[in-house]
Amino acid sequence: MIKLIHLTKTYKELRAVDDLNLEVREGTLFGFLGPNGAGKTTTIKMMAGVLKPTSGRILINGMDLAEEPEKVKKCIGFIPDRPYLYEKLTGMEFLHFIAGLYGMDHASSLQSRIHDLLDLFDLTHWGDELIESYSHGMKQRLVMCSALLPQPKVLIVDEPMVGLDPRGSRLVKDIFLEESRKKTTIFMSTHSLEVAAELCQEIAIIQAGKIIALGSAEELKKAAGVDGSLESVFLKLTEGKRIAHATPLSAS
Amino acid sequence: MLLVGLCFWALMFGLSFRVLKYFQSVEVIGDLLAHHLLGMILMVFFSLLMFSHIITALSNLYLSSDLELCHASPAYVEEVFLSRAVYTLVDSSWMVIVFGLPVMMAYAFVFKPGFGFYFSLVHMGFGVVLIAGGVGILITMILVRIFPAQRTRDIIMLLGICGLGALYLMFRLLRPERLVDPEAFFSIAQYMAALQGPDSPYLPTHWMTETLWATLSRSPGKDVLLYSAFLWSTAGAITVINVWVAQAIYFSGFSKSQEAKTRRAGKRVLDFFVALIKRPFKPQLGAIIDKDLRAFFRDNTQWSQLLLLGALVVVYVYNFSVLPLDKSPIRIEFLQNEIAFLNVGLAGFVLSAVSVRFIFPAVSSEGAAFWIVQSSPVPLKRFLWTKFAFYLPPMLILGEVLILLTNHLLEVTPFMMVLSSLTMFLAVFGIVALGVGMGAMYPNFNHQNIAQVATGFGGLMFMILSAAFVALVVILEAGPVYVLVMADLRGLPVAMWQWFLIVLSFAAVLFIMAAAVYKPMKMGLKALSQYE
Repeated sequence: MIKLIHLTKTYKELRAVDDLNLEVREGTLFGFLGPNGAGKTTTIKMMAGVLKPTSGRILINGMDLAEEPEKVKKCIGFIPDRPYLYEKLTGMEFLHFIAGLYGMDHASSLQSRIHDLLDLFDLTHWGDELIESYSHGMKQRLVMCSALLPQPKVLIVDEPMVGLDPRGSRLVKDIFLEESRKKTTIFMSTHSLEVAAELCQEIAIIQAGKIIALGSAEELKKAAGVDGSLESVFLKLTEGKRIAHATPLSAS
Repeated sequence: MLLVGLCFWALMFGLSFRVLKYFQSVEVIGDLLAHHLLGMILMVFFSLLMFSHIITALSNLYLSSDLELCHASPAYVEEVFLSRAVYTLVDSSWMVIVFGLPVMMAYAFVFKPGFGFYFSLVHMGFGVVLIAGGVGILITMILVRIFPAQRTRDIIMLLGICGLGALYLMFRLLRPERLVDPEAFFSIAQYMAALQGPDSPYLPTHWMTETLWATLSRSPGKDVLLYSAFLWSTAGAITVINVWVAQAIYFSGFSKSQEAKTRRAGKRVLDFFVALIKRPFKPQLGAIIDKDLRAFFRDNTQWSQLLLLGALVVVYVYNFSVLPLDKSPIRIEFLQNEIAFLNVGLAGFVLSAVSVRFIFPAVSSEGAAFWIVQSSPVPLKRFLWTKFAFYLPPMLILGEVLILLTNHLLEVTPFMMVLSSLTMFLAVFGIVALGVGMGAMYPNFNHQNIAQVATGFGGLMFMILSAAFVALVVILEAGPVYVLVMADLRGLPVAMWQWFLIVLSFAAVLFIMAAAVYKPMKMGLKALSQYE
């Protein structure tokens, strides 16, 4: 469902993502872990079509993002780490706006889907309020509503639990598991190793723009020779290689 | 930018210098005119300063996003207030000072005063700025206190309407058109009386005018020191009163402005209006137009400026209604048509000024939420052209209203009516495309206040290019218009070679207009596609 081929992104002298190759099967809940500045968000932004890769290809649902961006984006739902929204719209208006962008018609089915999603994310009572009055967590939940609205085949999620209270966090986990069961492919970056261990069938650890480990949680433990939590695996694998920012080109 | 600024200064200086030199050559009333003009200028600057402070203080003292940090710091509320008030003072006054300095320098060059003039100009100018700023900030604090929380929209509406009324009233009170026509008065005494205009010995501008005039005319009046004392004691008192009032009501006003906003009445009207406008468009375009319209009408800083735009149009059209064409030595039909033609250029500049405020920031107005457009299946090309389609109709209406109304007042020939309205119609496409395209070339998605986008480098470049575009169109059409109008007035046929040049000129105009639409949009799309 998702294929990254020799994906590279450089910012002036920094190689943020370095020749990344990855394949994620349909219906997989895929965890993308890594220390700060490892290149997680850059990779995710490129997959969502927000950033242009310096080189390499992104194939989603068999289509190349660079060649057919509109078709690819139609089957993607993107949830960024920071929920910047149009503050002067109400939650309901924002969801109608998203429906318009995805070319969804304004039939009664759309209206009921919007109501269902608002209900699911506990936002029904806030649907007619301006987004500027929402808290961070509510905005995050509204973004999730909007990402699920067009019923995407692929969900690309950057740090989904940031700003959510424990109830919201549990809700999101359940929704992701349910979406995965419905064959939606979820590509999720997270700092929370507990979340990754609980939800993800496959995990990749990225450091300095390169994938240094890939597999299920059990496989990663074996590869690292650690018999503990995912946290110990993460610390072991990234031990001594911690680099605050991506590797400079001159050093590579 | 420096070059443009210097050119502007030189222009202001040159114009003021010529007017003052002319006044000096007029016997008896020349000096009186110069004296009165000084009073008028200071009065206009004082009013502008006060209004500008009211608007800026609302943003700097209550709405800026960094205020939360300031109020959370262990600083006294008076300290926070004073620091923001000083910032407001600088923010609101520098433009007026920049505009005013060349005029004052022209006075100095014409009247060659001593050191006293410069000293008075600096210290009294500073005092007047303090008073205007103090009054403006005080009005803002009181308004925010009176109105319920988050009713800034009402405040700005009130301010906008007050500003509009004040502008119109001031314009009428000054009666500038009468001053160029002394014959319209029965006696010198009446003319002198008409020259008085709105003035009062209690106004700070009066104190400054009299002090400056005393140094300019080298006849130091006995009241000069008294006026200085009045000015500085008033400035000091206003500052102290502001601090007292701030201690009492500033923080509670700020706290109110932080309270959550809820939707208010008027939703149905907006829903109906939005549905009506987006109806002809496809869902993707309709969605963007829907969002832009709602965001525009819910953002006070955006729609309140429409009131000022209204004032601009009123004054613009009013100017044409009082043109003393019948007193001109040039044949009236010729003058009417020439002015109508030059009016295309003037109206084009007005549209450029409106565009730099509303259309140039259109792309940047997406702000940090631009990721939504980027990650959506809407191609950036369609996004940009939707912005173009959104702004084109109101700009066409504004352009045509300016042209048709003024042409009607000038009673121009049908040929000139058609030519000028058609030229304006087509030029609007170029101006809007320049605005949208250059806005995409110089986007600012991290702005705190959308009004700041227009004042950046990109906004300046847009103004220069848009003005150049309008000027080029006018220059290219000037030759054919002259030939055709003169032939019409004299009843003479137009020669073959003249027709050839006319067709060539109009073809060049059409080419430039097409290029002004195509090129900036293409460059804007390229820049936006590469935006990271």
